[in-house]
Amino acid sequence: MKKTAAIFFGTLMMMALSGCGDDTNTKHEVKNYKYTTAEVYAKMCVKCHGEKGEGVKKEKGPALNDQEVYELKTGITDIKMGGIGGHSGGTEHEIMEHNMQKIIDKGMDYDTDAMAQYIYDNFNINK
Amino acid sequence: MYRLKEGILDKSFLNDGIEQIDAILKEEGISRRDAMKMFGLGGAAMMMGSGAITEAKASSSAKGKILIVGGGLSGIAAASLLMRSLDEPDITIIEPNEKSASYQPGQTLVGGGVWENSDTEYMTEDFMPDGVTWIKEKAVEFDPDNNVVKTNSGQSVAYDFMIVAAGLKLDFAQIEGLGITDSITSRGDDSAVKNAIGKNGIGSIYFANGATNTWKLMQEFIEKAKSGQKVQGVFTHPNTPIKCGGAPKKIMYLTDARLREADARDNAELTFYPNGGKMFGVPEYHEAIVKQFETRDMKWNYNHNLIGVDPQAKIATFYKHWLEKGEYDDVLEEYSMVARGEKVEVPYDFLHITPPMKAAEEIANSPIGSDQGWVPVIKETMQHVKYPNVFALGDIAAVPMGKTGGSARKQYKVVVENLISVMEGKELTAEYGGYTVCPLITSLSTVMLAEFDWSGKPTPSFPLDPTQERWIWWLLKVYALKPMTQYGMLAGRA
Repeated sequence: MKKTAAIFFGTLMMMALSGCGDDTNTKHEVKNYKYTTAEVYAKMCVKCHGEKGEGVKKEKGPALNDQEVYELKTGITDIKMGGIGGHSGGTEHEIMEHNMQKIIDKGMDYDTDAMAQYIYDNFNINK
Repeated sequence: MYRLKEGILDKSFLNDGIEQIDAILKEEGISRRDAMKMFGLGGAAMMMGSGAITEAKASSSAKGKILIVGGGLSGIAAASLLMRSLDEPDITIIEPNEKSASYQPGQTLVGGGVWENSDTEYMTEDFMPDGVTWIKEKAVEFDPDNNVVKTNSGQSVAYDFMIVAAGLKLDFAQIEGLGITDSITSRGDDSAVKNAIGKNGIGSIYFANGATNTWKLMQEFIEKAKSGQKVQGVFTHPNTPIKCGGAPKKIMYLTDARLREADARDNAELTFYPNGGKMFGVPEYHEAIVKQFETRDMKWNYNHNLIGVDPQAKIATFYKHWLEKGEYDDVLEEYSMVARGEKVEVPYDFLHITPPMKAAEEIANSPIGSDQGWVPVIKETMQHVKYPNVFALGDIAAVPMGKTGGSARKQYKVVVENLISVMEGKELTAEYGGYTVCPLITSLSTVMLAEFDWSGKPTPSFPLDPTQERWIWWLLKVYALKPMTQYGMLAGRA
């Protein structure tokens, strides 16, 4: 037992040194997307969310032009990850989650934060 | 110490080392006493490791009255770090609960009969940093335009800067048939739910007494199975954001393990009923968990949200939902989808409820709240989207995947650093990257340490395959994380 205990403590020291809870903010690789956010919006989003994010009732596409950047970011994250909890809570945007997968399959993936910013900068009516 | 990280140890050496120790432990086991001893020392080493960073920071002469709403893990950790970072700190915490500093992550272990409630219960006064003014009341009104918060006694508390760390409410009242009309917190007064949760086979580890009673109910369930009765265990996961997203599964794994220990597993059917359509948002972890479920003959039914319970008949009612093919969509070049759903009744002998969760109404409906209730912040800086002198962190903050102690451990340092920048009139430079961690308990001796962030990919802190269940993470969970949290993080040092 002593031997195990000794090894054990050694490991913990290693864990300590390896930084259990590394505090540097890891920046992830920047993904290169095939199309710009503007192109993706024009091709994939306009039909249901409208030319200016005003929403299209007939297509049941909600308006995006009254949402703040943080709401857009959270909403798109929810759609892309199938829920914002990370586990089994599911998404509030079930249909859009399905559509998003189709959009990705078509090679039209986009950066979440960039899309949120694009929609806000170009369409927001409360600015 | 951190600066040496890359240079001091070759990663493959560390990898091999931990793999070997994991194997030795699996073979030899380790006594509780030895583990406590070793991990006590290890925990101290880890704290020293992390402390080195925060100690190195230069102190700030910035001044201002800082109000922290909420004295749980996040609020106290932020207060402790601020006390050490400011030359002349002026900090007030509003917190009505005398046990708010309790160790919530331990409640799963209480529910599984590994710990007792006393292992998780801590008095807030023992962790409140010296020099902080503690108002033992509840914040009930927020007036961020005039920088004032009102408490339940009518006292007005003015501030220059505010940190909202108020936690969340467990809202069993959203489930019909339980006779519950009010929400509760994980510690403190649970009278609103105690007539329904913790008896008649209905347990919930999300509050202290609920966890203790879950263990009693689990034992009754196991006894029935042992006596030869065929029994059903049902485990839920709601459609709201929840704290510790892994706990609904952890308690199921522990039930499975306890049944096996009693040699009664064959008589019990265990089924997970989550609202969502997968086990995990990170594909690698999702696949690992599906395999673990299959190996254990644990079943699951996706897309079921618990909406009602009949405690007498022992029937749980779920809203089952799915997508059906609709009209052809010429933009997607696919058929569009239409949402459908129906009610489904499921009989149970043992029901573990993960309740819907929400922000406290007095916050949700105030100017600092949002439509969803949670306090909206810029997710990287944790600064309020409308009020630059307000920050939020922990369970109340509207950030994706952020409701764990592991997230809070990253967030409080970001909040403190950015708050000091605001106080000094400087640009905000600290960023939260969405890191969170779920030590997923998979048996009575193993844990899968699922770490991830907003990239949606595993972000392991250790050079080990993060999808493996390991002995060493069980020891980390059971012996090291509590001292790290209670004596490291609450002191603003880890």
